[in-house]
Amino acid sequence: MNITLRAFIKKELAQTLRDVRMRVLLFGAPVIQLTIFGLALSTEIKNIKLAFFYAPDDVMARRLEGDFYSSGWFKPVDFTAGEDPLELIVSGRADAAIIAPDEGLARSSERGEGRVQLLVDASNATKARTVETYVKTIISAGWAGKGGGAANPPPVKLDVRVLYNPAMESSLFLVPGVMGMVVCLITIILTAMSLAREREMGTFETIVSAPLSDAEILLGKTIPFVLLGLAVTALTLLAAYFFFGVPVRGPLWQLALGSLVFIITTVSVGTLISTIAKNQQQAMLGGFIFLFPAILMSGIMYPVENMPTTVIAAAYLNPLMCFMRILRSVLLKGGEAYVFWTNMGALALMAMAAGGLAYNRFKQTLD
Amino acid sequence: MNSFSIKTENLSKSFGAVKALKGVSFDFSEGLLHGLIGSNGAGKTTAMRLLAGLLRPSSGSITYFKDGKAADFAEFRPGLAYMPQQASLYPDLSIEEHLEFFRALYRLDAETYARRSAGLLEITRLGKFLKRRAGQLSGGMYKKLGLMCALLQSPSALLLDEPTNGVDPISRREFWELLYGLAADRVLVIVSTAYMDEAERCARVHLLDDGTLLASGEPRAVLEEAGAAGFEEIFIRRGKGAER
Repeated sequence: MNITLRAFIKKELAQTLRDVRMRVLLFGAPVIQLTIFGLALSTEIKNIKLAFFYAPDDVMARRLEGDFYSSGWFKPVDFTAGEDPLELIVSGRADAAIIAPDEGLARSSERGEGRVQLLVDASNATKARTVETYVKTIISAGWAGKGGGAANPPPVKLDVRVLYNPAMESSLFLVPGVMGMVVCLITIILTAMSLAREREMGTFETIVSAPLSDAEILLGKTIPFVLLGLAVTALTLLAAYFFFGVPVRGPLWQLALGSLVFIITTVSVGTLISTIAKNQQQAMLGGFIFLFPAILMSGIMYPVENMPTTVIAAAYLNPLMCFMRILRSVLLKGGEAYVFWTNMGALALMAMAAGGLAYNRFKQTLD
Repeated sequence: MNSFSIKTENLSKSFGAVKALKGVSFDFSEGLLHGLIGSNGAGKTTAMRLLAGLLRPSSGSITYFKDGKAADFAEFRPGLAYMPQQASLYPDLSIEEHLEFFRALYRLDAETYARRSAGLLEITRLGKFLKRRAGQLSGGMYKKLGLMCALLQSPSALLLDEPTNGVDPISRREFWELLYGLAADRVLVIVSTAYMDEAERCARVHLLDDGTLLASGEPRAVLEEAGAAGFEEIFIRRGKGAER
């Protein structure tokens, strides 16, 4: 081999492999990506939370319910008799509800009026379309399996009521997702690079030699990015409202408080990354190592419910997933209190954990 | 004895297997303008960072004195200013914005800030360039701005790590005039430099080589004791000795 070429190869390999952080990026990141893509991500929609309402003596409806849950696509929701199906969907406890007629499905079918109502949460339009298709398939298959024949239509008619997004526009689902993603990306990368830039430029030495406390330096370095993050949120919200017609159905204070706590969390994560990174390049890479799985496991593109149980548990440590749930709940569903406060609580805990870790790792020395 | 002074005892600092300082004992209690003299890699920056509290010693101790009495670093720190060797200013901020930022770091009231910044701008002759960004300043002006930022808090002890590195001879002379002025105002100034000719400008010199202290004292006395015509000769002799 050409001696110059060999020297270049040797130099590049030495430069890359001597740095522990680069080794992690090189060998750790592919494993994480493979795990997420291979195990966790699926475009097939499963584990749909379905509440089936029927009279206690309605045998046909009970059989139909069995068909739904044994299909593998749906899973039952715990609820008590008398609960409002709509409330179950508003609170996020159910993705869909099927309501059989009070007189019993068999009796109403005999009269040729066998109708079941399907309520479906269409804040995720793709998921809603799939739910509707699944429900129709199961009803048809059930009828065919009971001797009805595939050619004849089943006596049970489906009365579909699409909630939150009647036109099933994908943009209503995707735009809030992209909003959350943009805010997350900007705040984490900017914050992570800020302290790293001070280190690289040498200005960190000047700052830490000034008679300031750790808290003063950290707050001084992070508050500007919280403010910038809020400005970006407001800007993306205005664009979503005016250009994409995304509604704001919930209270604005929920949106403001949710955004603030989410941004504090992402800025804390960015600060934590910057306490580990030696320079801006490493801070940027560290930011993307966090962002890549965070975006994939946020429910923006792939439903979190389809992922394996252990991955779902990890997804609950993802601030972007909590913020997505708040955003979609406030923008599309009117901001249900349960959804808001549970996700806010999780975000606040994450903010405290990331902020506390960053504070502990931050030292006013160059050791 | 100076009102602000520092003494170190067997000060050592290692970074992994690399021993940057090997049991050095400095005494900055007499004389106001001290020079840490040594070539690149001698341990000057490590010593400066240790004195500024930015690194923790691997072994040995540093004692700070305020008004003749040993003081905690926390007590000494408000009177201590440090100017790092590396370019340590924000290229996108103007001179005026730098002064405003450092005023906030040192929590100066409006009147004190106005008085000190006016005085500093006069002696550094940077008043005409207030709106110019640091990234657009010449090497000498850049260093002067760094010094101004450090002096804004009116320190009693000033640590300058290679402040004249890469600065043209005229700016270097102006810079030293500023340091003489500070020493005349009873400020303890510790300057590190690799320029041997600058050693003679100091009241006391401390010669560092490969993390060890070769000699300390008044420049003339150090030269006489070593029997050398200049400081370079001391280092060259040491280098030849090490080669043998």
